[in-house]
Amino acid sequence: MPIGPILRAMQHNRTRFALIILEIAITLAIVTNAVNMILDERTKMQKQSGFDDENLLFVGAQPFAPEFKEQTYVEKIVHADLRALESIPGVKAASATYFLPWQGGGSSGVWKTAGYPDKFQAQRYPATQNIFNVLGVHLVQGRGFTENDTPADPNTSTTVTVISRALAKKLWGDANPIGRVITDGEGDTPRTVIGVIDQFYNPYAWNIHEYVLFTPGRAYDSNGQPYLIRVEPGAMKSVVSQLEPRLVQVNSGRVFRLLTIAEVKDGFFASGKLVIRAMTAVIVVLVFVTALGILGITSLSVAERTKQIGTRRALGATKGDILKHVLAENWIVTTIGLILGVIATYALNYALVANVTDTKMPWYLVGVGMVLLWLNGLVATIPPALRAARVAPAIATRSV
Amino acid sequence: MLGYNVKIALKSLRRNPILTSLLIGAIALGICVSTTFIALRHLFEKDPLPGKSQTLFYVRLDNWDPQRAYVAEDPKSLPSQVTYRDAMALMKSGIATQQTPTYKTRLFVHPDPKVSRPFSENIRLAYRDFFTMFNVPFQYGGAWDKAADAKPEQVIVLDQTMNQKLFGGANSIGRTVRLGERNYKVVGVIGDWRPAVKFYDMTQSVTAEFEHVFMPFNFTRPLELTPSGNSDGWKGPDGDSYDSFLNSEVVWMQFWAELPTAEKQAAYRQYVDNYVRDQKKLGRFQRPLHNEVTSIPDLMKELNAVPPAVKSMSIVSMLFLVVCSLNLVGLLLGKFLARIPEVSVRRALGASRLQVFWQHVVECELVGIAGGAIGLLLSMGILRLIGKFAHQQAPELVRLDGEMVLISIFLSLVAGLLAGLYPSWRVCSVAPAMQLKVQ
Repeated sequence: MPIGPILRAMQHNRTRFALIILEIAITLAIVTNAVNMILDERTKMQKQSGFDDENLLFVGAQPFAPEFKEQTYVEKIVHADLRALESIPGVKAASATYFLPWQGGGSSGVWKTAGYPDKFQAQRYPATQNIFNVLGVHLVQGRGFTENDTPADPNTSTTVTVISRALAKKLWGDANPIGRVITDGEGDTPRTVIGVIDQFYNPYAWNIHEYVLFTPGRAYDSNGQPYLIRVEPGAMKSVVSQLEPRLVQVNSGRVFRLLTIAEVKDGFFASGKLVIRAMTAVIVVLVFVTALGILGITSLSVAERTKQIGTRRALGATKGDILKHVLAENWIVTTIGLILGVIATYALNYALVANVTDTKMPWYLVGVGMVLLWLNGLVATIPPALRAARVAPAIATRSV
Repeated sequence: MLGYNVKIALKSLRRNPILTSLLIGAIALGICVSTTFIALRHLFEKDPLPGKSQTLFYVRLDNWDPQRAYVAEDPKSLPSQVTYRDAMALMKSGIATQQTPTYKTRLFVHPDPKVSRPFSENIRLAYRDFFTMFNVPFQYGGAWDKAADAKPEQVIVLDQTMNQKLFGGANSIGRTVRLGERNYKVVGVIGDWRPAVKFYDMTQSVTAEFEHVFMPFNFTRPLELTPSGNSDGWKGPDGDSYDSFLNSEVVWMQFWAELPTAEKQAAYRQYVDNYVRDQKKLGRFQRPLHNEVTSIPDLMKELNAVPPAVKSMSIVSMLFLVVCSLNLVGLLLGKFLARIPEVSVRRALGASRLQVFWQHVVECELVGIAGGAIGLLLSMGILRLIGKFAHQQAPELVRLDGEMVLISIFLSLVAGLLAGLYPSWRVCSVAPAMQLKVQ
């Protein structure tokens, strides 16, 4: 098909085509950047903690009764609580720990070890021996905690630790981590690594999501005694209903707070979900608006040229020729718009990355966006193109 | 003349209802999306204390690990809070007209057993200056006095929510509330105080819930209170006692100073730097001298009070409005050009170019106003939905304030005008005789 006449014809309608070009360029920029943001949030959401999230439950027991001032009493109650919790039908395991997965933080410290040049930061959670059963993680090397690992006096520090595989790899590469010693940042309180767990991921403000030290013992907190519990699949409801009465039997001078990890996780991702929804809505509406815009502008330009089209038909152009002409116009305009759009996409991405913590635009996303918008433009052009093709040659003989 | 233009414009808009609703729909969509996201951003950027926020300063000192910065990857970063001992030293500056260290802790509230079971609650500790510095309004009573700060007296301030929960919303001044193991007398009930951002403590989420109970800061030591907010330390306390915690390098409180004049601000910065230099002699503060005394607006900017997602969406939404306006240009162009025969008759009958131009601009502006109004209503609805599940502190705050309504009306007028300018110019530049001849 001869492109020359089409281009010359288009010059008479410069403004309109410029409008479509701009519209397509901006649409491509927005759509690709919005999809990029959505993908970004989704990657964060699809991250696996490595734990049995769906079947985990957190219980905080905050005492107000005066007898909890006695440390020995607290000790006794924690044992009784754990026994009571594990006796509830449907409970697999329970551990006294303030580790609460997916809360977007936790507790961390700075540590040192031989073989790693710098001090390093890692999360650290004290927990009673069942913690690995509770989380549903596997020990890939060494052993978990036993009764003997916990010192009788809770004020003396513990001497062993179980770490995540990611931390072992960071510190010592492929060398055997078992038996190595980790101290605090000052070089005090040495702890020997006795075990390595396969998986750990808990999002943190610093980039230490996968680095953890578990230490044996009861995790006391001024807010009371927290427990992490794992239930049999499907048993969550019945366990939740029985929990509080059981713990009240042990001691009623406390208030209890129950949180399923699924809820905590939902809360952590709430804003991400909002972003995904808002961006999806923007994309859908925008693509629709752009399609309508192309449809509207092309329809108007066809309607205005009815007489010329009729003349061309009368001079021998087939319906197919007219159809091809309108589609070719659209093809040229869309292509120019998309090329400009690539520039706009990266400009917008640059602005977003500069202002906001966002990720770089992957090239394939731009490619996919171009193909989709090109098709979108084609679909929007088909109705006016068909209308143009239906113009009767006889029109040419009428005056206006 | 304007009335006449409006009349013609309305007539022309009524002639083609489908096209008119498309035009209005395009503006409405654009205004709805852009207003919604700009309003969200505005919510986080809004000055919480207009006229005063420039004089309130947040103090930070770099007492971190000599070998690594607070955020290891950013050597310029410094702890977001201060230690107890440094807060106490800052209190002695004598420069700030008002000042307070503040943090939150958790205590049990024991209400009348008939009302409810005991519950644990976040309690904010502060000096009385907290209330006057931040212009906290009171429904009943007021802040405790200086004597209560010093002693400290067992007095508390509640907010409306807590007053409702404990006393059914009645004037509770003089009544007592049991917190932990002591009874406290209520001296004030905070009135309607709802800044959108928890500006006085941005160390956790800026949309976090405000505390409902306030008590004098000097209870910290006698009650051995520990923070329920963030506490960070690069090295732990030297011993197990509470005093060793207070003397440690652990940062866990915010410090605010009111410095109304430039001289005071300069003197205060000098004081802070001199204090740190003195402390260096004692072996503390081994990092390079780096202290920040930051006003509320600067702090909000620095801590990025606007969530990144909201920021990106506000940029994207403005582009969305541009796309809608481009559509509008296309549609208006078609509409106006189809009217050329009619216009050229009017021109031939004596209408000036300017008159024709204005007539069409008025028509575009009518579309802009109608679309803007619909967009504004839509955006109010959407904001209400967003508020319901995105703002814990006060969902009713996620709405359009007067300023935003004005911005939105302005945007719709500008969109209508910009979209209408070119088509109106095209149609008014028709030569009168040309069209008549052809016809």
